[in-house]
Amino acid sequence: MDESAAPILEVANVTKRFGKFTAVNDVSFAIADGEFFTLVGPSGSGKTTLLRMLVGMEKPTTGELRLRGKIVNDLAPNKRPTCMVFQSLALFPHMSVGKNVEFPLAIRGEREGDRRTRAWELLKLLHLDPNRYYDKNVTQCSGGERQRVALARALAYDPDILFFDEPLSALDARLRKTLQKELKDIQRSTKKTFCYVTHSLEEAMVMSDRVAILRSGVIEQIGQPDEIYASPKNAFVAEFMGEVNLLDITVTGGTSAEWDTGRKPLVINLPASLDAGTKRKLLIRPESLRFIAPGESAGNTVPVRILNQFSLGSRIQYHVEVVPGCTLTVERLREERSTATAEALLGWDLADSQILES
Amino acid sequence: MIVTRTQKAGFSLYAGLVLLVFYFPVFCIIVASLSKKRFFSFPYASEDMTFKWYADALNSPQVHDFVGVSLRIASVTALASVTIGFFSALAYARYRWRGRQTFQRLVLLPLFFPQSVLGLALLMWFNFLDVTTAWWTAAIAHTVWIAPITTLIISIQAYGLDESLEEAARDMGATRWQILRKITIPLLLPGMISATCFAVLLSWGNFALSLFTTGADSALPEWLYARMTSGYQPMVPAVGVINVGVAILLVIILFAIVRWSTRKSRTSALSH
Amino acid sequence: MSDALPVPPPKARLLERIPGLIGALSASPFALLMMFGFVAPLLCVVWFGFMPSKTFSLVQTPTLENYETIFNQTYFKSALWSLGLAAVTVVILLVICFPLAFAMAKIFRGAASFITYAIATSLFVSENIRLFGWVIGFMKKGVVGGTLEAWFGLQVDSLLYNIPVIILGMVYVYLPFMLFPLVLGVKMVPDQVREAAFDLGASRWQVFKKIDLPLSMPGVMIGSLLVFVLSVGAISEAKILGGQKVVTIASDIESEFTYAQNWPLGSALSTMFIALTTVVVFFALSRFDLEKLLGKKPAE
Repeated sequence: MDESAAPILEVANVTKRFGKFTAVNDVSFAIADGEFFTLVGPSGSGKTTLLRMLVGMEKPTTGELRLRGKIVNDLAPNKRPTCMVFQSLALFPHMSVGKNVEFPLAIRGEREGDRRTRAWELLKLLHLDPNRYYDKNVTQCSGGERQRVALARALAYDPDILFFDEPLSALDARLRKTLQKELKDIQRSTKKTFCYVTHSLEEAMVMSDRVAILRSGVIEQIGQPDEIYASPKNAFVAEFMGEVNLLDITVTGGTSAEWDTGRKPLVINLPASLDAGTKRKLLIRPESLRFIAPGESAGNTVPVRILNQFSLGSRIQYHVEVVPGCTLTVERLREERSTATAEALLGWDLADSQILES
Repeated sequence: MIVTRTQKAGFSLYAGLVLLVFYFPVFCIIVASLSKKRFFSFPYASEDMTFKWYADALNSPQVHDFVGVSLRIASVTALASVTIGFFSALAYARYRWRGRQTFQRLVLLPLFFPQSVLGLALLMWFNFLDVTTAWWTAAIAHTVWIAPITTLIISIQAYGLDESLEEAARDMGATRWQILRKITIPLLLPGMISATCFAVLLSWGNFALSLFTTGADSALPEWLYARMTSGYQPMVPAVGVINVGVAILLVIILFAIVRWSTRKSRTSALSH
Repeated sequence: MSDALPVPPPKARLLERIPGLIGALSASPFALLMMFGFVAPLLCVVWFGFMPSKTFSLVQTPTLENYETIFNQTYFKSALWSLGLAAVTVVILLVICFPLAFAMAKIFRGAASFITYAIATSLFVSENIRLFGWVIGFMKKGVVGGTLEAWFGLQVDSLLYNIPVIILGMVYVYLPFMLFPLVLGVKMVPDQVREAAFDLGASRWQVFKKIDLPLSMPGVMIGSLLVFVLSVGAISEAKILGGQKVVTIASDIESEFTYAQNWPLGSALSTMFIALTTVVVFFALSRFDLEKLLGKKPAE
């Protein structure tokens, strides 16, 4: 993917208001040609509204949408070189699998023979044996099969950008993982730009070249999955990524801060120095916490009580209590099984902690 | 939805046009009912406006008779069709039994049947039974046509009946009759009230069936029909307007009942 | 809770033991009503059709003379008129109502229920009154004629007593019966399916032809059928608006029963009419599951 080339899609200061409610608030980003780009966010974050504007089902209140440099705010969906796979898949219930896939070609007036050949190809690409599936009615297909038909149909349109609105959310975990891999493979092999929307960060991380995290209509962070994971910009992004520990801290001076545990505050050391009185959140990943044996040292230590432990395959997750009401999550490898009893000393190194804003 | 503002405006215009044309006859009747002259001609000066015909209509013993007949027919029809409709709605939507699917198809049959032919058939049948047609035979005729409608209306509500309520009562020792009285009927009451309103209104306005089955008695629509085809009479529009006004009033009441009952069922569901 | 369940009374045990008995029992009042008020009269009519002409008794030897009369005379003329008028009414109503139904199902929100009530009100007003309104509108010096004369100086004669106005009357009376089923039908087209079609490049006309129409077909069928059956038996429109211009089959039948006092002939005509209508209805109804249309749970 050539990042220096002109982006295929540009979103410039786009806002969408429904009456008094602002669904999308001054959002700007660009997608490169051939990229797998994902918009992630919880429900109500505006990701679906944004998607619908990109496809043409809604019009931005202000701002510009540019496809290959051309402004497309007012371009109707049937005139755009984009195509969407809906959450409900929106397969045509009165047509067979084959006719569904052929639909965009029939609309364009292509000859029947050509249509059939192309549909045949696409079904094979999606691992659906045309001999069995071509004449099958879509309502008789399973969830996974319908997904593939929807994708085949979208590919038949041969769009410049393919959009996906949480298409896998209704499937069971195993099918979802299989289809995630297939989607990624198809994107690589067809070299098409994919713009994917989901509420599952895990899904986004697995498939995407770049991810944008949305909250309440605003983009919190855009970047490659690894970047975001390593350096989340704020507490929301950090929390969105799963179980992390976020400590409420108030800087007392320099690198010293007070941790508000709900009872009496604990003094801890920060990895960087800030002005006194600054309130922040301190991010510590579960795998960065460890049990301190006698004689060991760490940047910060705190006595804890082990409440519970859960087996996560090769790792074990501990829930520990600092004071009643304040718990932390710790993850260690199974081999390191702590010999600690109920009471233990927990510690972490300064470099493993990150100061974040809310 | 991808509908542009101009498209929406276009559709609104169209809908407005349709409604305008639809209520044009009503406008005409109102206009005619206020004209003082014996023979109608339009336009007329405002000096020629009068409510005289309304007074005549409301005071006319003839009109009273016909209204009375219509009311009698409507009330008996409503009572019969809602009662029958209640039980058949249960059979339609609530109980599982072997003939259910056939029953569901057959319930609809009288609706898809031309009323004039049904009226005629009933006339012959009554004649064969040596029964003189009168207002109550018309009530039977109306019930035959309206019972499917009340069945469907109550069925819509019966589909939402929670079986576990009845089963719980059963579990606590209630007899079927008690369950019917204390659980099923109260739950279906809104549907039954709607059905009653429909039955009254449909019977009130029915012409084709009444024409053949009322015999010596005459319902209001028949009287109107006779007057209309025998030459213009200024009292007819007045009666017509009263008729329409009463219908609109009843529809508003129906609408209010529907709103009240949905709100009631929502709050009672919350309280459970 | 005591160990033993309360013993249900003997009658209840019977109801419990025969599955489906309570359903059948519940259906019986309706069934009896239909037997007495629908089936019996119709059988009566059919049987009367085989009685000798101009008689009034049912206990005579059956004869086919009435059917001979029908086939030899021009009753087919009025039958064709009725069928023709009904067919034209259906087509006109489909064209008029589909855009409105589409708007009500997909575009309007609050306006849809207002329109529904406004049009449903007409069902409760006797059709005679509504047709009479058109008479007042179109008669000589009526609302339309008088206005044209007063404003434009045009002398307009009565606009009544011709075929177009009869069709207007029928379209007018049966509009609700086409509109409401159509609304139900259009509601069955999922929004996202339509959006997907647009997204895949279809023009508005293509979406209508390939998506809207096929998926709302149940509504179209029900509406057309209902209007056809009701309008083929129409009796008031032709008489009130058309005078003697057009004689429908229903009014022919009525004449046999009143002026001509020939009940057997009237019955034979009715029987043929019923047979024709029944064939059309059964054929069309058998192809569509009304339950699915109304969104109800499928019967077990």
